[in-house]
Amino acid sequence: MGQLLRELFSIPLPGSILGLMLMFIALLLKIVPLEWVDSGAALLLSFLPLFFIPATVGVIDYFDVFAGKGAFLVVVLILSTLLTMAGAALTSQHLSRRFEAGKERS
Amino acid sequence: METLTLAVFFIALTAGAYFGMNLLYIKFHYSILMPALTATLLVILFLLLTETPYDTYMIGGQWIDRILGPAVVALAIPLYKQRKLLFDNLVPIFTGTLVGVSIGLFTGFALAKLFGFSEVLVLSLLPKSITSPVAMEIAEQIGGIPSLAAVFVMIAGFSGIIIGPAFLRVLRIETPIGLGMGFGASAHGIGTAKALEYGPREASVSSVAMSLSAVFGSFLAPVLVWLFFL
Repeated sequence: MGQLLRELFSIPLPGSILGLMLMFIALLLKIVPLEWVDSGAALLLSFLPLFFIPATVGVIDYFDVFAGKGAFLVVVLILSTLLTMAGAALTSQHLSRRFEAGKERS
Repeated sequence: METLTLAVFFIALTAGAYFGMNLLYIKFHYSILMPALTATLLVILFLLLTETPYDTYMIGGQWIDRILGPAVVALAIPLYKQRKLLFDNLVPIFTGTLVGVSIGLFTGFALAKLFGFSEVLVLSLLPKSITSPVAMEIAEQIGGIPSLAAVFVMIAGFSGIIIGPAFLRVLRIETPIGLGMGFGASAHGIGTAKALEYGPREASVSSVAMSLSAVFGSFLAPVLVWLFFL
């Protein structure tokens, strides 16, 4: 459904994300009752890691990427991950403590 | 006929590795035993030992791969169930996610450029703090390599939960919102599993942060690429 919309309107967003947003809106507006999708979604999500194994296994064609200089990729990943964590955690904790004052931004 | 046999075999191999490793993880519950990591390694090991090319594996693997899209859509349901938490803390959660995603994309880009990595590697690295299935779609869209993106996502996730607890203590992050946002926005599903060790509220915030990061990242990653590569 999301994939279809994307092709129809050529929206530059992953189809699954469009689908997620549409489904969220449909649930909020009660177009889709929760009971219709609840158990199906729970089933899909409980196996979620299984579904991305095949794509991840594809890395066997790219092992050479991590050789030599490639080790620095791990350094980049760690640094950037920690900065992301600090940014998200500090901002949200700060704002949640002064929730009223933060209302003009959203 | 042979194709069908191969397909069934590789589907069974993947599912078997997943369920086996999942049992192990449930039993010992070390983060490092998460089936997303261990089952992937098992399958890779099998392919290497039997010298099976990836394309042959994907005769079966593609069928599992196809469920990934619908499974991401299913993330809307837990997000909906957490809507009260989300709407009650809309400003901190939205802003925190936006800041996290922006920092993640920008620093990933800047650092990778600084080290002089090739464009295709930089593009595969951008969505590293976004949950694997979406990160792979984003990578594909902006010209990166999806399976590399998935591995980068996993490295980011594990560095987040290994260094994260001490790091967040140093930063004096102690509220459920702060902790949940920190893990969810940087270490996605792996971080959310870690957040559960802190408490259910931390885990809920983390899963909301993970889903929102995926949505924001899908919007922002192409914008960043458009700004810097065109």
